[in-house]
Formats: sequence, structure tokens, C-alpha cells
Amino acid sequence: MALHISSAPPISAFHHLLCFFFHDTYPEMEYASSLQRQLASMKKNLFDQGYLDEQFYQLEELQDESSPNFVEEVVTLFFRDSSRLVANIDQALQKYPQDFRRLDNFMHQLKGSASSIGAAKMKNECTSFREFCNKENREGCLRSFQKVKKEHAVLKQKLENYFQLLRQDGPVDKATRSGN
Amino acid sequence: MEEVKEEGEEMDVNDCGGGGLEVVRVLVVDDSPVDRKIVEMLLRRSEGIFDVVSVDSGKKAMEVLGLNEIEAKPPNHDDQKIDIVLTDYCMPEMTGLDLLKAVKANSSSRSIPVVMMSSENDSERISSCRAIGAEDFILKPLQVKDVQRLRTYTVPIGPMSKRGSKRKLPMALIAESNGAEARPLLAKVAAFGSAVFLTLNFWRSSVMSSSCN
Repeated sequence: MALHISSAPPISAFHHLLCFFFHDTYPEMEYASSLQRQLASMKKNLFDQGYLDEQFYQLEELQDESSPNFVEEVVTLFFRDSSRLVANIDQALQKYPQDFRRLDNFMHQLKGSASSIGAAKMKNECTSFREFCNKENREGCLRSFQKVKKEHAVLKQKLENYFQLLRQDGPVDKATRSGN
Repeated sequence: MEEVKEEGEEMDVNDCGGGGLEVVRVLVVDDSPVDRKIVEMLLRRSEGIFDVVSVDSGKKAMEVLGLNEIEAKPPNHDDQKIDIVLTDYCMPEMTGLDLLKAVKANSSSRSIPVVMMSSENDSERISSCRAIGAEDFILKPLQVKDVQRLRTYTVPIGPMSKRGSKRKLPMALIAESNGAEARPLLAKVAAFGSAVFLTLNFWRSSVMSSSCN
């Protein structure tokens, strides 16, 4: 005799099981899993759209219980340092005649830091800028720098949003302990 | 000068005891605060094998190594003994290449291995560094495997020399423990999974018996 589909256990039975086993944490679990889905989606978009590359994963691998906010700390440090460099480049571009070697030095530093945190789009725009520098093409440098600044601002906003959500998620242990 | 120390690292770096790991003191030199932080973490994650001292300039590195001409300090004593220098190539004022030359030119520091880091894969740059005496040239951003290689450069070759020679053959790195503690939630998930399995089996057997009847 064939197995009737209607004989399958009702879904409500699983719901009862869930409530029985996780009665003290089920609501928190639902909220946590929703946040985690949002976080996963945000991170996936950052990679799919090319803002971040493999190096960001390497940073995450370094994070552990003794340094639970390592990635956020590095990223914060990056934006503090990169904002200074962007301001320096801005000032240097206003000067005439152009000191392309100095500009290239600044951009080399910016590119290096961007590469270290996995900021792929920024790194690529920095490379373009340096190519214009090498050709001593001021107009090209100016156009390219606008792109660098744009990518810098966009990435900063996206990562700020990401870490804000990550802070809301918090460690799993907190949720389970709060129910006791 | 930023200093990163392992907790409780009062052990004598020359004493391997009954086969214990010897701590390697690394001087990290990089003007980029981002790169310094990442390298420090990479070294720290090597299970206490590395004791890290980090500075943001070649000039400060010279002070740590006791090569500061102005103050004419004596060679480093044990509290600042450096086993290996890991330096960025491109730095303002004193570059990594200048630092390498200074280290190799001084008899008290010549034996300290120097490893260069750079984001540029420039073959001429690499050749010139090796010709002056750099042990290796690592491309940034550094990875775990790059840090693991550092220990191999601290193996003594031939008779003991004054500085940085009290080293043993590198031992295998302790495998990184996951460090994850068992969480009560995991136990609940396991119990839930078992209950689901049992429920499904119960339903299947009841359906099978009813269909046979």
C-alpha cells in the first residue's frame, strides 16, 4: 500500500516540539535568526557588488573570543586613516605645479590600507589614480580622485550599517542567558 | 611605541625546558596603523610563539635595536632582544631598505634576520633587498602562512653569534584550537533533532501498520 501524504505528521507538532525544547529562548531565537539573515544578505551583497574581496574573510578568520570586535576595530582604524589621506590628497591636488610623486605616495598608502581590509573597489580606483599620476595627467587624476572619494564614502556607509546590525545581533550566549 | 606582549611571558626565551616552544620576539615596523594591527593579530594568533614589539617608523626601530646614533646606546639587553625584524618597505623618512642596510651594517645587529613586507611585487626591489641581506620579501596583505614562515628564519646557522642566536629548531606550531565552548543551545538543538527523528519514525511506523491492516 502507498504511503498517504495526509498521514505526514502535522506541522503544528513540530511547532509544539520547538516550543517545548526552546520555551525560554524561542522568541529570541526567531529575532536572532532574522537578524542573522539580514546580516548574511548584507555581507553577500557587499561581496557580490565588488565592494569587498577575500581579504575581508581573512580578517574575520583572525577574530576570536579574546578580540571579538577585531574586524570592526580594523575597519574603524582604516576609515580614520583613509580620511586623513583623502584630505591630504585633496590638498595636494589644489597645488600648482602638481607634485605627482607626492600624490602617488599618498595614494600608495591609501591603496595599501584598502587592500588590507579587502576594500576591492577602492583599491581598484586607487590603482587607476596612480596610473594617471605616472602619466602626470592632472585631469585624469582629478576625475579618478572623485571616484576614489565616492567609493570611500559608499563603503564607509555600508560597513557602518553592517556593523551596527552586527552589534544588535550580539553573541548567542547572551540571548540564552537572558531567559534564565 | 606600541608594545604587544603575551600575558605571563616572563619565561627565559633561551630555555626550552622539556621541549616547550621558544618565544620569538618580533619587531614589526610599519607606518600604516591598519597593517600594524593586522600583523600584530596574525602574530598573536600563533599560539604564543611570537612576542611582538611594534613601531611606526624606521627611526623608532633603530631605537629599539639600540642602533640610534645620537644616543649611542649599547646593544640591546635581554628585555629588548629582538629575534627577527619584520619591516614594511615603503615608509616616510627612513624606508625599510634604509633600516635593512642599517641593521646589516652594524656588527651588533647584523645577525638579526630582517624580512621585508611590501604591497608592490617589484622584482628589482626584491633583488636589492635580498642582495643586502633580507631573509625574505613578503607581499602584503600578509597571510597566516607568511607569519608561520617567520619562525624558520630564526634557526641558527653554524656557531652561536652574539645576538638573536639562542634559538632552537622550530617546532611544529600548536594546532589552533577552535576555542568554541559547548553551548547549552547546541545541546537543545541536538535533543530537538533527536525528538524530530523519533516523531517521524513513530508516524511512519503507525502509517505502515494502518496501511497493512
